[in-house]
Amino acid sequence: MLFARFAITRAFLAMFTLILVSLIVFSLMELVPGDCAERYLAFKSSQGSAITIADIDAERVRLGLDRPYLVRWGSWIFNAFQGEFGDSCILRLNISELLGQKFWLSLAICLTSLLVAYLIAIPVGIISATSKSAVLNNSLRLVSYLGLAMPNFLLALMIMLFSTIYFGDTLTGLFSKEFRDAAWSYDRVKDFLSRAWLPVFILAWSATAFAIQTVRALMSDEVGKLYVLAASARGVSGRRLLWRYPARHSLGPIINSLGFDLNRIFNELPIVALILVLTEAGSLLYDALAASNDQQLAGAIIFMLTASIVTINFITDIILALTDPRVRRSILG
Amino acid sequence: MTETPTIEETDVNVDQKAKEAYFTAGQGQLIWARFKKQKAAMVGAGLLIVLILSGFFAPFLTPYDPTIAGRNKDYLNGAPNVPSFCDENGCSLRPFVYSFKRSRSIETNFRWVTTIDTSLEARRYVVFFPQGDEYKLLGMTFNTHLFGVDSGKIHIFGTDATGKDIYSRTLQAINTSLAVGTIGVFIAFVLALIIGGISGYYGGWIDSVLQMITDAVRTIPTIPLFMALAAFIPATWSSETRFLFISIILGFVGWPTLARRVRTHLLTERNQEYVLAAQLCGASAGHVIRRHLLPSFTSYIIVDLIISFPYMVLSETALSFIGLGLKDPVNSLGVMLQNVTSADVLLNYQWYFIPVFFFITLVLAFVFVGDGLRDAADPYADTKK
Repeated sequence: MLFARFAITRAFLAMFTLILVSLIVFSLMELVPGDCAERYLAFKSSQGSAITIADIDAERVRLGLDRPYLVRWGSWIFNAFQGEFGDSCILRLNISELLGQKFWLSLAICLTSLLVAYLIAIPVGIISATSKSAVLNNSLRLVSYLGLAMPNFLLALMIMLFSTIYFGDTLTGLFSKEFRDAAWSYDRVKDFLSRAWLPVFILAWSATAFAIQTVRALMSDEVGKLYVLAASARGVSGRRLLWRYPARHSLGPIINSLGFDLNRIFNELPIVALILVLTEAGSLLYDALAASNDQQLAGAIIFMLTASIVTINFITDIILALTDPRVRRSILG
Repeated sequence: MTETPTIEETDVNVDQKAKEAYFTAGQGQLIWARFKKQKAAMVGAGLLIVLILSGFFAPFLTPYDPTIAGRNKDYLNGAPNVPSFCDENGCSLRPFVYSFKRSRSIETNFRWVTTIDTSLEARRYVVFFPQGDEYKLLGMTFNTHLFGVDSGKIHIFGTDATGKDIYSRTLQAINTSLAVGTIGVFIAFVLALIIGGISGYYGGWIDSVLQMITDAVRTIPTIPLFMALAAFIPATWSSETRFLFISIILGFVGWPTLARRVRTHLLTERNQEYVLAAQLCGASAGHVIRRHLLPSFTSYIIVDLIISFPYMVLSETALSFIGLGLKDPVNSLGVMLQNVTSADVLLNYQWYFIPVFFFITLVLAFVFVGDGLRDAADPYADTKK
C-alpha cells in the first residue's frame, strides 16, 4: 500500500499549498485600497442618497468586514472550498453565477494552448537537441526565440489588422452576436470553435517557444548519458532509440511542470483578452483589478485558477509516481 | 642589439603550449574561449553592447529632449524624415531632409494638413554636433548632440501624437527598461540567494517548508499579482517613485525561479568532499556558503541573471501595456509598445512600430547571449558532443 500512502501524502501537501496560496491571495486583495463597504455605498451615493461615515461602518458590520483579518480569511476559504465566493463588490451579483462557465471556458482555452504547444514542442525540441546540422538548429532557435520576444498583444493586433483588411471580420470575441447569450447547442459550439482558435493560437505561440526551450535543454542533457550509448551499442538506433530511452526520461520533468506552464499561459490571457475583446475570466480579472478594484471578484478568479494549478500538479505527481518508481521512493524514503 | 633566441614552432611545441594555456587558464578565460566559438551568441553580444551603449548615451545620440519639452508642435504624427543625398533638384554632398509646413484653410476643410516643400531653398541640411536641448550625463550638463539639421527639426523615426521625436524616445526607453530590469533582477537575485541558499544548504525540514512557500508563490500567476500590487500605487505618486516601485515589484515577484536554481546547485554541491573538509575544519555555515559554495557556481548565477533579464523587460512591457506600469511621460519600451495598439496607428501611422523592432532585438540579444553563456559556462560542454 505504498502507493496509497504516497497519494494521500501528496493530497495533504496539495491541500496545504492551496491554503497557503489562499492566504497570499486574500492578503493581496486586502492590499487593494478601499473595501467592499465603501464601494457599495459609493454606488448608492452616486444614485443621490447622502452617505455618512456611520453608514459605511454599519455596512462593514453587515458584510462582516469588522471581524479580525484571520477570521475573515477563515470564513472566505471555508466558503471558497464549497464554491461560494459571495457577491461582487461592484457588480453586486453572485460571483459563482457571474463566473459560471466563463472560468471553464478560459481554462479550456489555456489547456488547449498548452496541448498545442507540447504537440509542437516535443518533436521539434527533440530534433533540435539531437540534430547535428547547425543551420537547422540555429533557425529553429531563432524561430522559438521570436516566439519569446514578439509580444503576444502585438501578434494579436497584427492578426486582427490582417483579417479586418482581407476578410472584413475583426475576429474579436468568443461568440458571434447571435450566439452570445444562447444556450449551448451544436451550432454554438461550432461558432465558439470558429473563433476560439485565435486566442488559442496566440497563447500557444509563446508557450510553444518556451516549451521547445525546455524540451531541448532536457533532451540534450539526456542524450549524452551512458545508457543511451549502451542502447546504441546494443544496436538500437534512430527514432526508436530516442523515443525509448532519452525522450522518456526527459518527459518526467515536463509533466512535473505542466501546472506551472498553465500558470504562465493564463498569465497572458488577460492581455490577449483585452485586445480580442473576449468575454471570459481573463477579461473579468483585468476589469476587476485594473479598472474597478473589485477585490472579491479578483480574489475568486485567482483562487479558482490556483486551485486548478494545484490540482493539475497533484494529478501529474500521481501520474509520475505511477510511471516512475524513483519519484515514489524519493517521497517515502 | 641583443639577439632574441627563437623557439622553433614545431607541432609538438604548439600543442604543448595550447595544452598549457588550457590548464592554466582561469574560469573566466575558459568561458570566454568557449563563448567566442558561438557565432549567434557573439552577434547577440555585439548587438547588446550597441543597444546598452546607445541607451546610456541616448541624450547625446538623439537630437531632442524625449519629454514634452522637446516636442515639435508643428509636426504631430509626422512621418519619418529620411535624409537623402539626391533628388530632382540635384545632388548634394551633405545629406538633407525636406521642410514641411502645417497649414489649414478652407481648401483643406479646416483640418491641419502637412505639406512637404521639396524646393532647393527649403532643404534642411544635416549637421553634426549642433547645440540643442540641455541634458545631464555622468553628472555634467551638456548641450551638444550627435546630429541635427541647420534649421527646423529632423525626425528620423517620425513623431507621435504630441509631436515628440520617436527616435529620441526609443533610445531613452531602452535606458529606462534596462534600468527597471536591472533593479528587478537585483532584488530577485538577493532574495533568491538568501532563500535558495538557506533552503539548499540546510536541506531537511527547512528546505521542505521553504520549498512549499516558493511553490505557493509560483502557483499564483504573476500578471494578476502585478495588477493587485500596482493597483496599490496611489495616482499621486510621481513617475520616478512609480518607476522605482514597479522595479521593486518585479523583483519581489521574480525570485522563485532563481531561488529554485540556487537551491538545486547548492543541494548537489553541498555533498561534495571539499565542503565536508571545510566543515570538519570548523567553518561556520555562512563561511562555507560564502567562501566555498558560492564561488563554485558563480558562473551559473551570472548566466541565470542574464537569462532572467529579458523576462523582467517583458514583464515591464506587459505591465505598462495594460496601463498599470509606467505611464506616458516616462519613456519605457512598454509605454512605446502601448502606443502602437490603436487602429489609427495600425492603419495610418506605421512608424510607431519602429520601437517594436528595438524591443524584439533587445530581448533576442539577451536570450542569445544568455544561451551562449550557459553553454560556455558548462565545463562539460566540450566532452559532451
